[in-house]
Amino acid sequence: MSWLTPQITGFLLQGIVVTILLTIITSILSLIVGVGVGTMRLSPRPWLRRLAGVYVETFRNIPALVLIIFFAFAVPNLFPAEIRKELFFNNVLTNWAGQLTGLSLPYYALAAIAALTLNTSAYIAELFRAGVGTVPQEYVDAARSLGAGQTAVFRQIILPQGFRAAFPAIETRLIHNLKNTALVSFVAVPEFFHATETAINKTFRAVEFLLLATAVYLILSITYAALLRQIERRLNRRPTVTENWKLTPEN
Amino acid sequence: MSDQLAFILKNLPNLLIGFPGHRPGGLLMSLFLAVTAVTLGFVLAVILGTVYESKHKPVRLLAHGYVQFFRGIPLILLLLLVHQVLGYGRQLGLERTVLTSALVALTLYSSAYQAEIVRAGLQAAPAGMVESARLLGSSQRQAYWFIQIRYAWHVMLPAFTGQAISLFKDTSVVVVLGVAELMTVAQIALGSDVGNAAYWAPLFLVVGLFYFIVALSLSRAAQHWERGHRTGDLVHSLANY
Repeated sequence: MSWLTPQITGFLLQGIVVTILLTIITSILSLIVGVGVGTMRLSPRPWLRRLAGVYVETFRNIPALVLIIFFAFAVPNLFPAEIRKELFFNNVLTNWAGQLTGLSLPYYALAAIAALTLNTSAYIAELFRAGVGTVPQEYVDAARSLGAGQTAVFRQIILPQGFRAAFPAIETRLIHNLKNTALVSFVAVPEFFHATETAINKTFRAVEFLLLATAVYLILSITYAALLRQIERRLNRRPTVTENWKLTPEN
Repeated sequence: MSDQLAFILKNLPNLLIGFPGHRPGGLLMSLFLAVTAVTLGFVLAVILGTVYESKHKPVRLLAHGYVQFFRGIPLILLLLLVHQVLGYGRQLGLERTVLTSALVALTLYSSAYQAEIVRAGLQAAPAGMVESARLLGSSQRQAYWFIQIRYAWHVMLPAFTGQAISLFKDTSVVVVLGVAELMTVAQIALGSDVGNAAYWAPLFLVVGLFYFIVALSLSRAAQHWERGHRTGDLVHSLANY
């Protein structure tokens, strides 16, 4: 194990932390945006449905890697050199992100987060919509005839049940998202895969480090899958519709 | 703006079929990679999916381990790993090229996902159907081919097209090995020339558009096909032996 020096180990551990952070941040953002866009697709307003449809089709059908490179490298190059620096690399937001994370070029990390979120949320939006499709119409009708408003029906019946139905499929997508964070190494964000590549370039021990990376990613994805299954179990333990009214008597 | 357009137009044939005087590349290569890997992966997946239900525990465990492994690691890592491992083949006199490494990695990756689809498909036939067929005097093999596979086919087909589209998009990752597919061609066209900075965004818009057009038209075609072949067709086909 002479190839695994303390310096490189520290380096790789940092990479693992960045990978985990990236996964958590993009997963949470994708869930929020995905459910939002999925709701828009169910809206009674046609233009809103259209807009959400364009969002889903666009970001689902373009590979994550293209999105990442586009936002990180291509977008800043659209602007002339003088304002590019101010706009992308040296402003309040990036400085704040840089101070918070210690990254030297935080714009790339922000761009990568945006790209991964767009990609994953487009999938989640579609899965959420499909999940809502499984909510029996009778539940909605029953709630409406008992006097519940449109928002109450959405918040207490369609949203929780649709989400619960869609969650197993969303889990698969979120694990995909974890694996997609490795693509961020293309834009020099020091996550785990990038750290592995750097270690290989330093030591020329390609097979050793690639096998190590394989083991780490397997552990990460299995752990993440177990965590998500735990959340799924929690979701399914939530009170059923018939008990819901007791919890929120004001509705 | 006009020179950006000129740059795109100049590189359009390269993006579609690769650089002149070289082996075919670009979008054509991406499609070739995806089609080959999905086809070879399907063969592996059928074997795996069948073996899943094997009576022998070690065989079952092996199949599960295989699927878990290839689904659990990022494709970009698998590509590099396969490329390294195939490098050892040189001692055995095997020629290693980036293209074969890419194909092997994509095939393994795709087979793991397709194996899950095959497994789900084989469980789709209601047990009663298979039992009835056996009662009516068909052999185990007949029941398998005429009942289980027929049901499985209808369940699996939409999932397979989804997987094929997903793999087509995943071929973009092959850029780490430098097979001259769409993404690599785009990177080569831009090069490391700072003067090309203004061309990044328009070029990657075009690259994204190519992926978008192919992926969307494939999924639309699949949807269209599915609509025409709903379960009614299944009942029809089963009723008309």
